[in-house]
Amino acid sequence: MGKCRCTQQLNLIVQMKYLFLFLFSVPLIARSQDEMSLLGSSDTTKDYVTATFKGSHIINFQSVEVLGKRSLEFMIQHRFGDINGGANSLFGLDDGASIRFGLSYSNNGRLEFGIGRTNIDKLVDGYLKYKLLRQTMQHGMPVSVTLFGSTYYTLMKDPNKEANGFDKYHYASDRLAYTLQAIVARKFSDKLSLQLSPTYIHYNLVDRITDKNNVWALGSAFRYKFTNRMAVTVEYGWKYKSYTESKYYNTLGIGWEIETGGHVFQMFITNSTGIADPQFIPHTSTSWKDGGIRLGFNISRLFNL
Amino acid sequence: MKTPVLTFILIILAHIASAQVFFTKNAKVSFFSETPVQNIEANNNTVSSLINTASDSVLVKIKNTAFTFKNALMQDHFNENYMESSKYPVSIFRGKINQKPDYSKNGSYHVTATGRMFIHGVEKMVTIAGTLNIKDNELNLTSEFTIKLADYNISIPKLVFNKIAEEVKVSFNGSYSKKT
Repeated sequence: MGKCRCTQQLNLIVQMKYLFLFLFSVPLIARSQDEMSLLGSSDTTKDYVTATFKGSHIINFQSVEVLGKRSLEFMIQHRFGDINGGANSLFGLDDGASIRFGLSYSNNGRLEFGIGRTNIDKLVDGYLKYKLLRQTMQHGMPVSVTLFGSTYYTLMKDPNKEANGFDKYHYASDRLAYTLQAIVARKFSDKLSLQLSPTYIHYNLVDRITDKNNVWALGSAFRYKFTNRMAVTVEYGWKYKSYTESKYYNTLGIGWEIETGGHVFQMFITNSTGIADPQFIPHTSTSWKDGGIRLGFNISRLFNL
Repeated sequence: MKTPVLTFILIILAHIASAQVFFTKNAKVSFFSETPVQNIEANNNTVSSLINTASDSVLVKIKNTAFTFKNALMQDHFNENYMESSKYPVSIFRGKINQKPDYSKNGSYHVTATGRMFIHGVEKMVTIAGTLNIKDNELNLTSEFTIKLADYNISIPKLVFNKIAEEVKVSFNGSYSKKT
């Protein structure tokens, strides 16, 4: 009887010892986890979302992206002729309809300025693009906002000067047009980005008495990245408030872009022939329904100075 | 009879000793890729690290988006295409110093640390050599080692294969002070 109880008591002591050991070693085991969290708590840097879009343009519309620090971008934008020209004109490839060359630079990565020239209307443009707000990864800023302002100057000579007896560009200021845009974008995920750009365009001189000098429009764009370097893009522009009696269509473009090293190649189909904002947003004269669409590409090359 | 008491005392001692944690949140990690066509260099000055002198353990935590490059486009590509920082925001080294140095003696010691390196979703056992400088309750750890990009599933597309080295030189420099 006595022996039995002794064994029981000894067993109890042994069990207690192990319980003690266990209780004391639990904090020891847990420490490496604590140490890790020690490192995590020191993270105070704000995280801005980068690369909402790959390039400075979607197709025709400006994207919310501004060039990085000391970056120089050279850009060629080209649109071919109407696809409904048929096989005879190689679906528009025979007719190189419009082209713009552009050069842009940013020194601090927030303010970008650039110049360019479009062959249609022999339009020279100069612009400023400013990254006002940047989307943050965690809570804080849900969108990125960039402001865009551009001035356009046409170098065309009035073809009807002799016939009419006067030069429609009598004043140099008649040659000017302006665009103001607030581009609001959000990177929803690694793959999906969306953008809206309310736009105001002003022409100093319009062609007809029934045309208004001010145009209001809303641009929209969407990008879906299906590999690390390739994406599909769509852009659409709504014109609101009537500004003309002539028939114009909303601009719609669907494209594919690939980025390699310092180049971004964008290939797309759009119904707009014009490239500059005062051309493609309010004055697109062909529609998707009639096959008045064309192939086009943008090539941009980035240099770091 | 003595064993449980001894065990008890040892455990208490281990707890006291574990208060020896040296800490920094401004360690510097930089990496350098050299090819005949192009050199790539990046610096990260906000690396967190700690050394636990009781257990000889070293912990390094690197925020991948905090690497700065002179070329803004390189920085974008690093985060978007190579490191894929949105999927893997941190790189971690968790290891132990093999030599068990005497932290109370000032001096410069060659050390090696063995542990797990976690980069781009891949964890590897590595041994890294470095120098531990001890001076008056402040530790300084420096190390230079190479990382093979393929080991961590970082793929280089054929188009740019001659611009990015397959093995990248990494250097670490951290000055630690005792955590209060």
